[in-house]
Amino acid sequence: MSPLTRIGLTPIRTQFTRSALLSQRFFQTSSTQRFDIPFLKQIPQPPGYVVGNVNDAYIPPHASKTHGSLHWTTERLIAIGLVPLTVVPFVTGSFAPVLDAVLSVTILAHSWIGFQACIIDYVQKRVYGSAHDYAIYLLSFGTVIAGLGIYNLEANDVGLTGLIAKVASAKKEESK
Amino acid sequence: MNFLRSSSALRLNTASIIKRGLASAPEAKPVNNKTFKIYRWSPDHPNEKPTLQEYKVDLNQCGPMVLDALIKIKNEQDPTLTFRRSCREGICGSCAMNIGGRNTLACLCRIDTNVSSETKIYPLPHMFVVKDLVPDLTHFYKQYKSIQPYLQRDTVPEDGKENLQSIADRKKLDGLYECILCACCSTSCPSYWWNQQEYLGPAVLMQAYRWLIDSRDQASGIRKEMLENSMSMYRCHTILNCTKTCPKGLNPGRAIAEIKKQLAFQ
Repeated sequence: MSPLTRIGLTPIRTQFTRSALLSQRFFQTSSTQRFDIPFLKQIPQPPGYVVGNVNDAYIPPHASKTHGSLHWTTERLIAIGLVPLTVVPFVTGSFAPVLDAVLSVTILAHSWIGFQACIIDYVQKRVYGSAHDYAIYLLSFGTVIAGLGIYNLEANDVGLTGLIAKVASAKKEESK
Repeated sequence: MNFLRSSSALRLNTASIIKRGLASAPEAKPVNNKTFKIYRWSPDHPNEKPTLQEYKVDLNQCGPMVLDALIKIKNEQDPTLTFRRSCREGICGSCAMNIGGRNTLACLCRIDTNVSSETKIYPLPHMFVVKDLVPDLTHFYKQYKSIQPYLQRDTVPEDGKENLQSIADRKKLDGLYECILCACCSTSCPSYWWNQQEYLGPAVLMQAYRWLIDSRDQASGIRKEMLENSMSMYRCHTILNCTKTCPKGLNPGRAIAEIKKQLAFQ
């Protein structure tokens, strides 16, 4: 007799294993449906999300500062840094290429981190497996393409802020 | 002497109550029916879809709280209705459920006396349901266990008696230790809905913070290291549903922000 049977927990648990696969959707408790990505293969999850014994503590993922506090601090610094970088060129009227390049790279990094958070939230590695990695690769690929575009804009054209200023002044002239 | 005086006063009092009782017969209050729609699902019929079952309760014959209505329904109309309850005064956290779209304790939630609108009652959202309004909190408790919610020290106090704490240090625990782990906040958090297998959720993280700032605890190194990954804590996107819904008026959102600050500046 296992310790589980002794405290009367097995009957409930087996009930779950029996009905969980078949009635995962039945367990949805309110009108808010669980977010599923169509066409992506999912890894089946343990019934009741219980891994191991019901009395075992949950085991957190491997500790890593680069995914934890350092990641968070970088994210915040980038977000805060964007504020002066966006405001300065338009207040001073100077479209210095270095400043412009820094702004563009910061925006790219900001978007990469933002989309990475979406991928971690919705294309979870534990559910979608390698599709999670591919999503991150796709994001990085898109970022590189955007980076090349920005390089082109900086090297052969007026730069990002210059472009925005140009578009804005063109609109102003149109309205005149 | 004193005793004699009080007992005679009691006798007088009882007599006057009886007199008053006889003078006016209680007036029958009019029937004031309120409709409750309650989520029903039974593991005995796992292939039947969950439904909302309608119950009518006369508010003039019922206590003021939603839990009173639930108990009345179970006693008088449908003994199969299943829900958890214990203390009926907001200290045990058993009767956490989603009432009128908000996670709260049924015993602390007043019945909406507007009888023209119905009140819908669901179990805590995005949890596995055991039956009717009873969610499966096994994983939630496993997560709570993982933060080691107990005092850990390398040394014992010198006098061998107590771990002393200053009044100021004790004050830091106010607003944290009152948490009754009803899971209202965690199950109101969209991030917990999507990632509850790995994200600890506001309730557990607030307790993690409670042990982090306890001046008597010496295990903050392990406690902090446990949260150093992308899932355990950093899935918190400061949505603050937790703080908005907490039936005890606590602020888990602030506690999580404080942990993030501690980790960032350590």
